[in-house]
Amino acid sequence: MSSEQTLVVQSVLFGNDAHEIVRAAQAVANSVKWARSRGLIGEWKLLLGDCSPTPVLNVLHMDEIASTVGAEGGQFELHSFGANLGSAAGHNALASKEFSELILILNPDAIAGPGTLSVLACALDDGVGIAEARQIPLEHPKDFVAYSGDTSWASTACALTTRAAFDAVGGFDSDTFFLYCDDVDYSWRLRLAGYRVVYEPAARVFHDKRLTQTGDWPASGAEVYYSAEAALFMAHKYSRPEIVTRLLAQFRSEGSTSVLKAVAAFERKRKLGTLPTPLDAEHKVGQFIGDNYAVHRF
Amino acid sequence: MLSTGSEQLKVQLGADGLTSSSDHNVHTSTIDTLLGELMSGPHLDPDLRYALDSVRGLISAEDRDAPFLTVLLRTQGKRPEPLKDALLCLAAQTDQDFEIIVIDHDADLEGAEVVRNAIAEQPIWMADRISRLEVRGGNRAKPLNAGIHAATGRYVAVFDDDDLLFANWVEAFRTASQRSSGRMLRALAANQAVTPELWPQDQIGFRTISWPKADYPREFDQIAHLGMNYSPFMSWAFPSTLFRKFGFEFDEELTVCEDWDMILRGSLLLGVENVDVLTAIYRKWKGGQSSYTDHSRDSWAWSEAKVVQRINDSVLIMPGGFAPFIRHAMTLRGAHEQLGALLQSRAWRYSRPVRGALRVAGYTKRRIRRLLRRT
Repeated sequence: MSSEQTLVVQSVLFGNDAHEIVRAAQAVANSVKWARSRGLIGEWKLLLGDCSPTPVLNVLHMDEIASTVGAEGGQFELHSFGANLGSAAGHNALASKEFSELILILNPDAIAGPGTLSVLACALDDGVGIAEARQIPLEHPKDFVAYSGDTSWASTACALTTRAAFDAVGGFDSDTFFLYCDDVDYSWRLRLAGYRVVYEPAARVFHDKRLTQTGDWPASGAEVYYSAEAALFMAHKYSRPEIVTRLLAQFRSEGSTSVLKAVAAFERKRKLGTLPTPLDAEHKVGQFIGDNYAVHRF
Repeated sequence: MLSTGSEQLKVQLGADGLTSSSDHNVHTSTIDTLLGELMSGPHLDPDLRYALDSVRGLISAEDRDAPFLTVLLRTQGKRPEPLKDALLCLAAQTDQDFEIIVIDHDADLEGAEVVRNAIAEQPIWMADRISRLEVRGGNRAKPLNAGIHAATGRYVAVFDDDDLLFANWVEAFRTASQRSSGRMLRALAANQAVTPELWPQDQIGFRTISWPKADYPREFDQIAHLGMNYSPFMSWAFPSTLFRKFGFEFDEELTVCEDWDMILRGSLLLGVENVDVLTAIYRKWKGGQSSYTDHSRDSWAWSEAKVVQRINDSVLIMPGGFAPFIRHAMTLRGAHEQLGALLQSRAWRYSRPVRGALRVAGYTKRRIRRLLRRT
């Protein structure tokens, strides 16, 4: 991929620190600057969708972002959604606002490296539907093929996808996924549609995750709930009824509030008949390895 | 140890029924405590009191307009991708009150260009705070000394070009500095294994192959550090007083262990404030070049011996709370000697057949383990 393409960078906000959003915008504008200087990106826009009950950004913040983006030849728009749409629906809503050949899905507080957009843009070749940046300081452990970068799924903490691929699979499945696994599902549907999903370690993004003093990564109740709920939906959607049965039994046995809430959400959808239509009956793309959706390196 | 050691002391000695009386020394640096004690004499010569007070004032004075931290980023430009990671970690700090001095040490033409480009592509708000030094020749300490002479921050930290920082690295140091009264700051680091690998667009990259492991001791132990270094370089922030007022420099004769040497000498003079937050990842290279492969075993042994010799040749100030620690260590040494005598005794030798039988049952093994554990 060598010709200039149009780009939308989009992030969904919910109760973030305004300064983090401004800093993330400055970082991504710098990354776009270098991609533009290499002739990879032409016109571009930063779209922020705010799902917070009270606006994250005030006028001064917005002016600062607009100025930063404008200095690099871009435009900035803020959309207030007035409700917590979640990640999948929020990104679908933003993607519907503007046409561009490329869409960078970015966590609102993620700091993109200077070369990140250039590397990701160059990766969208040879049938690649989405290219994921490497997160630091905590790298995602999923495995990828050396040199080609092919991987099971792409995290949308920072990932570049083509509009063609996005439209071909109808974007994110916001009917099923609220916060987690919308990116796993999007990746797997891209692969079912014949696209490649690649991990680009040279594209780096700082995602502010932290460890405890003993090196553990504690999960909040909300994280447990949304992960458990998404695990049930993923197993159902990718034709693994035996995993659904096992997870339901496991969650009921565990009995914590978070996982029981996930079981209830799944059962409610099952009764209403609103679970997604199962895909990948031959298990060509879906990987359920332990609690993971890919082989992990560590 | 100092403040932290005192806390550890209470735990360790508590089990032995001893107590620590060092709490009054917890919140000042060791040298400050020493000056305070010298000045506390009721019949101290007024001129000497005035002189000591002046010294105290000189040590504690700091430039409030200076940035909180100077980050010395040492590189040879041989690892472009980790260097870019390192700069991004700094760009993402929640506390941005720092300057960065990138020290190009003996980079070849290609490496120097890598370093220049990595700086040039930073956003303006980062690039404005980065300066670059070129240092030619010398060992690993030479670029550090060039860096401390150029530093303007109230603290100095060393961050090598292949390690990672969490977003709160600077913030955690600053928070701790507000209670540390001039002591050195020691945060927590994890280590993570990586191995060289060519990346999809032909970059010379690496593959991360382990989860970060928090293997280093959570609390600083001065005595343990006399034996070896348990604290990666980037887990420290050194008060600039150490360099600007006391004139400390890294030992340029050392081929390696320059960090351990400074940690030992500095901690004995100033004391250490524990920062109980994991703020960094030390990358361990499996394959490829690192300081472990760049230097021979002899070089490591020589440097370690030199560090120990220098400490041995120095006058050491013992911080408050140290005496019970030494007494405790001597007690342990006594237990070791008793064990040695037991192993040499006639009764022990005569009982060998019996022990053989017991060994089969695993009894002796457990007993000895318990004995050794106690020592």
